[in-house]
Amino acid sequence: MIEDEPKLGKALQEGLQAEQYEVSLAQTGEEGFYLAEVENFDLVVLDVMLPGRNGLEILATMRARGSKTPVLLLTAKDAVEDRVRGLDAGADDYLVKPFAFPELLARIRALNRRGVPETSPKLRVADLQMDVVARSVRRDGQTLELTAREFELLEYLLRHQGHVVSREMLTREVWKEAGRHTPLDNVIDVHVARLRRKVDDRFEPKLVHTVRGVGFVVRERQE
Amino acid sequence: MLRKLRPRHVRTRLTLWYVLVLASVLVLSWTLIAAFMFLQMRNQLDHYAIQDIETVEGLLYFDAGGRLLLHEDYHNHPESKRVLERFLEVRSPEGNLLYRNERLAGQTLGGSPIPREGQNQYSNRSGSLADGTPVRMVSRRHVLDGHPLLIRLAYSERPIWARFEEFAVASLLALPIVLVLAGLAGYLLTRSALAPLQEMARRAGRITSERLHERLPVGEAGDELDHLAGVFNNLLRRLEQSFEQLRRFTSDASHELRTPLASIRSVGEVALRKNGSREECRDAIGSMLEEVNRLTALVDGLLTISRADTGRIQLHPTVFPAMALAREAAGLFEVLVEEKGLQIAIEGDEGLSLAGDRMFLRQALVNVIHNAVKYTPPGGSISVSVHDQAPGSIQVEVADTGPGIAPEHSARVFDRFYRVDESRSREAGGAGLGLSIAQWAVRAHGGDIRLLPTSGKGCAFQISLPASATQG
Repeated sequence: MIEDEPKLGKALQEGLQAEQYEVSLAQTGEEGFYLAEVENFDLVVLDVMLPGRNGLEILATMRARGSKTPVLLLTAKDAVEDRVRGLDAGADDYLVKPFAFPELLARIRALNRRGVPETSPKLRVADLQMDVVARSVRRDGQTLELTAREFELLEYLLRHQGHVVSREMLTREVWKEAGRHTPLDNVIDVHVARLRRKVDDRFEPKLVHTVRGVGFVVRERQE
Repeated sequence: MLRKLRPRHVRTRLTLWYVLVLASVLVLSWTLIAAFMFLQMRNQLDHYAIQDIETVEGLLYFDAGGRLLLHEDYHNHPESKRVLERFLEVRSPEGNLLYRNERLAGQTLGGSPIPREGQNQYSNRSGSLADGTPVRMVSRRHVLDGHPLLIRLAYSERPIWARFEEFAVASLLALPIVLVLAGLAGYLLTRSALAPLQEMARRAGRITSERLHERLPVGEAGDELDHLAGVFNNLLRRLEQSFEQLRRFTSDASHELRTPLASIRSVGEVALRKNGSREECRDAIGSMLEEVNRLTALVDGLLTISRADTGRIQLHPTVFPAMALAREAAGLFEVLVEEKGLQIAIEGDEGLSLAGDRMFLRQALVNVIHNAVKYTPPGGSISVSVHDQAPGSIQVEVADTGPGIAPEHSARVFDRFYRVDESRSREAGGAGLGLSIAQWAVRAHGGDIRLLPTSGKGCAFQISLPASATQG
């Protein structure tokens, strides 16, 4: 991870380590570039605005030298042209600050399993089973009647089971809203509440959990 | 160098132009007068010459030797001074000289006869003698004792030319004096005419961003200067308004930014002091994160607005059915509508199409509908209708049965951060940017959004957009 802001760098490093990743943190462009040259990483998380050497330059040099390591760019700029410039320079993904940590985790997971898309048609957690092809959900042997949106919501949560999913991720991935300002938070909350009613009300253990200030997670055990 | 010669003041320029025009008019008119005078005097001369030629006809006689002579005793007549100045020559029609008076002193008057000269009528022409004297000559054919004669009589034009020169000299001397006087008068006049302008400039110079409330005095006359002052005051008013808006925006923005920051700070500080349980800590952090999300949304909104203000947002126009957009936007809030027990009705003409950036127009409609969903109390109803009442434009109306918006707020509902509830309570959510973003999106498409006046309860927003060229 190449990030010059010490607080953010350290927080992300700790967060990723807690998720069982091995993380090397570089605070300048030169240091990061050197590390990326000598070691073989699975993924580089690269801040665009760096003192000394710009993140995009580092990326371009890495790519020019034939490095195929996936690169996730972090930047405070979200204008479309900045995004395009980053992807043109050879970035694999792009995350705008401030981002939700679960989202960073999700992106990292996605980049790490690139080429092996996780599209298993059957998803399960505890005694809940989802058949994506048949579009049916059963818990404890009983079929649950879900609306199309509730089904998509549950599918997304199940695919990220054990990981927290933020409202922004749901807005973009489940509701397919491109704009960042669509006021969907209330809508999402209501949907989650309804989903919870159908999935958890009559069963134990509870599967759908709210993580205050962050988002939602599907998992078996309560933390 | 030439630039330096160009007078800097309008006053000087005006005076110079004025003097220049006056000079040309004077020179032209004086030239015409002089020419007219000259012709008049020459006519007079012709007149005398004709009279004189008739006299001369009577005085001519052949003496015994056949020589042509003139009775000279007539000279003594005191009234005819001109007679003394006359040049006289008589020739035969073939051109032989028969008589020439002494004043000619041997010089010829007009040379050989011109064909038809003096026949039937008096013929007159200008010429000059051998010594350079300019003359005006009249010819006449006359038969004396059976002999045909060609009588030529002339007067010097010198006196007329002298008068002409006198006039020219007098004019040339008078011209600069007249021009200087006129210029001076003009200069003083323009000064008094331009004085209000200077006063205006002086006052305008005193107006700064701190004193934008000042205005220029507008006179009663309704002339150009008053008009200018009016226009200037109008400009000042608009400037003051936008300054005021900016001030309000800055203070509102800082309020909106500070509120979540204050929460984050207090929650964090209190949690740190309490030395509470792990559960309490998680709760405090969660609460702080909620505020962070609010801040993030706010900064995103501000960024969108600032990009919109500087025109850096590019629209990607397409053509799409209006009803589908309305259904989609309303559909987003279906669960909220259900939860609150609201009724939402969408109706309109299925054939209508909109042209524009679908994402932004959708955003606009979503924000307006969200507003209605937010403020309509449980059990109320919302209607979304799509029509093309006026040709060439499409109206999308969103009406609700909420508490409505009081007239005193209606002018400002689209202002950034403006919320009708003064307390800025968080209950209803949002930072008050939704409607102003909607307004920007609609206006960027050449449309308009307004709050329709409603009688009694509820409020109704009308978005009107130019219709797409291809209907259906």
